[in-house]
Amino acid sequence: MILSQFLILAAALFAFGIYGLLVRRNIVLILLSVELMLTAVNINFIAFESVFRSPDAIGQVFAIFIITIAAAEVGIGLAIVLMIFRNRKSANVDELSLMRY
Amino acid sequence: MTFTIDYLALAPELVIVGTLLVVFTLDMVLTRPKKFWIATAAVAGTALAAIPLVILGVQGETRSMFDGSYVVDEFALVLKGLFIVAAYLVLLMSHHYIESERYYQGEYYFLLLASVLGSLVMASSRDLIILFIGLELTTAPLFLLTGWRKGDAKSNEASLKYFILGVLSTAILLYGMSFLYGLTGEITFSGLAEATAGRGDEPAMVMAILFVIVGFGFKIAAVPFHFWAPDTYEGAPTPITAYLSVNSKIAGFVALLLMLYIALPGVSEVWAPALWILAALSMTVGNLSALRQTNIVRLLAYSSVAQAGFMLVPFAAAAVVGADLEEAFAATVVYLAIYAVMNLGAFAVVIAGARKTRSGELSAWAGLAQVDSRLGVLVAVFFFSLAGIPPLAGWFAKFAMFRSVMIAGGTTTVVLAVIAAVNAVIALYYYAKVVKTVWVDDPTGEFVEDVEAAPAVSLRLALWVSLALTVAIGFFPALVTFVGDASRVIAVGG
Amino acid sequence: MSPYFESYLTVGAFAGLGAVLVLGMLGIAAVLRPTNPTSAKKMTYECGVDPVGSGWSQTYVRYYVFGLLFVIFEVEAVFIFPWAIILERLGVFGLVEMMIFIFILVLGLVYAIRKGVLEWE
Repeated sequence: MILSQFLILAAALFAFGIYGLLVRRNIVLILLSVELMLTAVNINFIAFESVFRSPDAIGQVFAIFIITIAAAEVGIGLAIVLMIFRNRKSANVDELSLMRY
Repeated sequence: MTFTIDYLALAPELVIVGTLLVVFTLDMVLTRPKKFWIATAAVAGTALAAIPLVILGVQGETRSMFDGSYVVDEFALVLKGLFIVAAYLVLLMSHHYIESERYYQGEYYFLLLASVLGSLVMASSRDLIILFIGLELTTAPLFLLTGWRKGDAKSNEASLKYFILGVLSTAILLYGMSFLYGLTGEITFSGLAEATAGRGDEPAMVMAILFVIVGFGFKIAAVPFHFWAPDTYEGAPTPITAYLSVNSKIAGFVALLLMLYIALPGVSEVWAPALWILAALSMTVGNLSALRQTNIVRLLAYSSVAQAGFMLVPFAAAAVVGADLEEAFAATVVYLAIYAVMNLGAFAVVIAGARKTRSGELSAWAGLAQVDSRLGVLVAVFFFSLAGIPPLAGWFAKFAMFRSVMIAGGTTTVVLAVIAAVNAVIALYYYAKVVKTVWVDDPTGEFVEDVEAAPAVSLRLALWVSLALTVAIGFFPALVTFVGDASRVIAVGG
Repeated sequence: MSPYFESYLTVGAFAGLGAVLVLGMLGIAAVLRPTNPTSAKKMTYECGVDPVGSGWSQTYVRYYVFGLLFVIFEVEAVFIFPWAIILERLGVFGLVEMMIFIFILVLGLVYAIRKGVLEWE
């Protein structure tokens, strides 16, 4: 069945995304990891849509909105990265530990 | 393909959109000394949005659009009213705060109003796409607003932590939603309710629901997904912290409850235990962490984590024993409304006090009541209300919560009620500690005593409004019971 | 020839036409333009940046704003495509809605110009 292949691909991408988010120390790479996770979700929606073929193309519409939100979030994320880089000359998340507990 | 748009039902959202555009244009046109018009326009627009709400409320009919994906019923109206009142209070608090920070006034109000718009959309959403857009529109502007003090390292850090966990939770939530869609082929809540009923034993369904709950867990800062909350609350500008802990948290709660109550009631055996654990952990960890805080904003942050636990109690309790969810839903909405009022008051008093103490550290607040007894009274009112002491509003929230738990009955429920009761006592200790510091302790340092330190007119208005509401609700709980009654007749849509 | 392959004939015709067009344009340009090669001109063109050095070179942060604006209007296109397909059924209402959507985006562009982020100094 072709659907399960897409789902496995999406699950793998999602897992890579979570791994990258937890392990990577560079903020830009963390952003990339988040994008991977959102891409996994998009693949899921499109794959399911290709099975259901609903009259309103729900899955595809959902994917379009996710793409939009992802673009907005990357814009915001990069703005935050720039702000931090200007103040500290570094994009390493380990150095951001002013507040704990 | 035909669809009609009910402009009256959408009027509150449309007014906010209009205000957004006006604020945005004014910011481009006006020169610096005239920027105060922006704040005026934002406040006026928010007030204006309440007018169509009242008209719709008087008419009292349920309006439904886009095949039942967007519903304006009494429940949605009550929540929209709550969001607009809370937004109004936050705008009043921000006014002087942002003006004295001296940068980017126009963008501040633009982003704040965009977030308000998102929460209004959320209250009416009855399908996954609209729910998701509302949720993102509520949180995305807040990533930027949290980092508003650009030069401040703490604000930077707060913004980044909130952003990373915010997008992570979004991705997890969406992954869960994609499987809900894949398993049922439905995205409207009414469709999901039919298609999921009785399928709680399918592994994929369990996974999808758990993903959704984890995603929302981050949004409402429930333990163990609360790590971003204290840091973000401490680093953000205080009015934004107030907004985060009220509007954004309530929006997350509304989204979670809408999904569980309308879309997934048929699989409550899956999400009920998860919710029970979240509630018990949030109350306990939140309160125990709050005990050892020395910064007043961090203390309120942990207190709001604990309050989220209290809010989850009615729903978790009723669902675990399989009791009727309607009572629990009404109790939760009542709790949300009261929490909004008293928490906004607490943050307003923190902003007012910080102008005199120049610090968020609790030690600097010692003896504040000796120089300004009115401020001391306000501290006492709002913190005792949060602790749930009658006759202030907080007691009725706790009462509604415990009452719905008692109605549900059952062993697991009683265990949860006992945990909640123990936590209410712990909470009383640290809320009372703040009041004691302000009233009994001797001042450790000098307070700022000039005209600058006096609360601005707008902040004073915010304090008066929340004080009046807190006291009035405490004496006449009937003022909020209609909120619960309205949510009983929630329209499913579809 | 079966109708199936006949339809491929169209594809072939288009491919041929495309090849003729490209070669013709390049040929005309080669005949007409003055040739004066220098080492800088012969380098691979890469959006104005030096194509030599390691892959981890830093780029101007100013590109960020341009990239952001590009993303905004690219995503706008994602919404316009499905809208364009059913525009006839939506009628005037759909047109007005899309105009409002684009107006709001243009307002953002005006904001960017007003803040001076598009000037390269």
